[in-house]
Amino acid sequence: MKRLLAMLALTAAAFAQQGHPLTGTWTGDWGASPTDRHQVTFVLNWDGKKVSGVMNPGPDSVTLSSVYVDVTSWTVRIEADTKDHQHIAAEGHIENLGSYHRTLNGSWHQGAANGDFRLTRD
Amino acid sequence: MRTLLALILLSAPAFAQSGFSATYDPGRTIKLSGPVTRIEWANPHAFVYVNVRDTAGTITNWAVEIGNPLDLEDSGWKSSAVHIGDILNVDGILTRDETRQAFAKSVTLARTGAKLFVMSNKSRPAITPPTPRWPDGHPRLGPPPGKTGYWGNATAASLVEHSAVRPDMNDEGLLRNLADADRVAPFQPWAKSVYEYRQRTLLRDDPLTRCIPAGGPRQFQTPHGFQFVEQPQIGRILVLSGGGDRNWRVIYTDGRPQGQADEAVRTYYGTSTGHWEKDTLVVDVVGFNEKFWFANGGLPHTEGLHLTERFSRPDLNTLKYEVTVDDPQTYTRPWTGGWNVQWVPDKDIDEYFCEEGYHSKGLYGQN
Repeated sequence: MKRLLAMLALTAAAFAQQGHPLTGTWTGDWGASPTDRHQVTFVLNWDGKKVSGVMNPGPDSVTLSSVYVDVTSWTVRIEADTKDHQHIAAEGHIENLGSYHRTLNGSWHQGAANGDFRLTRD
Repeated sequence: MRTLLALILLSAPAFAQSGFSATYDPGRTIKLSGPVTRIEWANPHAFVYVNVRDTAGTITNWAVEIGNPLDLEDSGWKSSAVHIGDILNVDGILTRDETRQAFAKSVTLARTGAKLFVMSNKSRPAITPPTPRWPDGHPRLGPPPGKTGYWGNATAASLVEHSAVRPDMNDEGLLRNLADADRVAPFQPWAKSVYEYRQRTLLRDDPLTRCIPAGGPRQFQTPHGFQFVEQPQIGRILVLSGGGDRNWRVIYTDGRPQGQADEAVRTYYGTSTGHWEKDTLVVDVVGFNEKFWFANGGLPHTEGLHLTERFSRPDLNTLKYEVTVDDPQTYTRPWTGGWNVQWVPDKDIDEYFCEEGYHSKGLYGQN
């Protein structure tokens, strides 16, 4: 098992994405407390002018209405509206910018709920 | 200090592949003295290990990096220059962490006072033979008929836009002054931020130090050279890398059209089609993935990267390499840079392999 994990770790390193730091698939969760969590996936893409993307791709996917990135601090603000008309506003910061397992963590507001989110780029 | 660092970097070109700046701190030096306990003459870094006794009488074992074995052997050194039990005096540079490891600025055999592992400076011959050519008149990019040889060191440490004033960099592509970033390339704001981050962190995330292939122009900057194998009868040229993970790339010269970039299977080397414009081989390359750095120093790119490379050989010993970088998702406009590469006659590329999991954590992967 140890050997398998080591091999997987090497594979992850080998597939590190070195382009725009936001481009790619980010997975994690958000929630109001450490025990109340909701799994979330973002697929983001930089087209040369702006970052766009979807949340939770599939039948219930939500197209992001805006993704704002401050490239001096790598602060990211994502906004979207769910199919049941709840507004989502998430603001976070990219950590470990140069790492293949960089993270995006911050605060999450959805409808009347407030919490935090933690995402890792796959 | 700047001169010292420059000398150290010039003395061992393999650093460009191994993350010298991320591993060693030129501001921290140490003098070590003791008997040799082990000699490790292995790519990419040769080490001697010495037992050092401190003032309290405690003995600790130190790893002393002495350079790349291929470069050492080119300078006439062999592992037999030192033996187990020999007393060495080492003037070294410490690692950035607390590892008992140093890079040797000088190694002296205490018994004789002889300096060991000094790199020699090779000068080029005064008379340069003309460009070798194929029967159809095109320059040969490989050796003349019946000869051997390969392309060795590049004249530039990193890819920088052609301009009147070249920013000052070391052999890894690290700027002396980070404020010069705007003189390297016409970055988009995000790309400049990423480039500066990589520079500030001393290139510690460089995929090449984890043996990831060096695609794009970096293929022609990697230590241990490269070789062209021309196959005009089937319309292709192979580019064999001597360093890195010893990979290869195909340039098709059979007249096929370049494929659609958005349909390409993205790779480290992309897909290359070439044609001759008089004595210059012009190569169009698209279809890159985003898993590597395409030049020393941490220049970013996206899958939209499109390169136009120009190779010419004005004489036997010189390859002129020029590349135009067009990646509108990363740079505000196309830009061009390049360098010359020196011919290494009468030799084949040395056997070198970059292997994942090399023992030095300072050199391979701390994240």
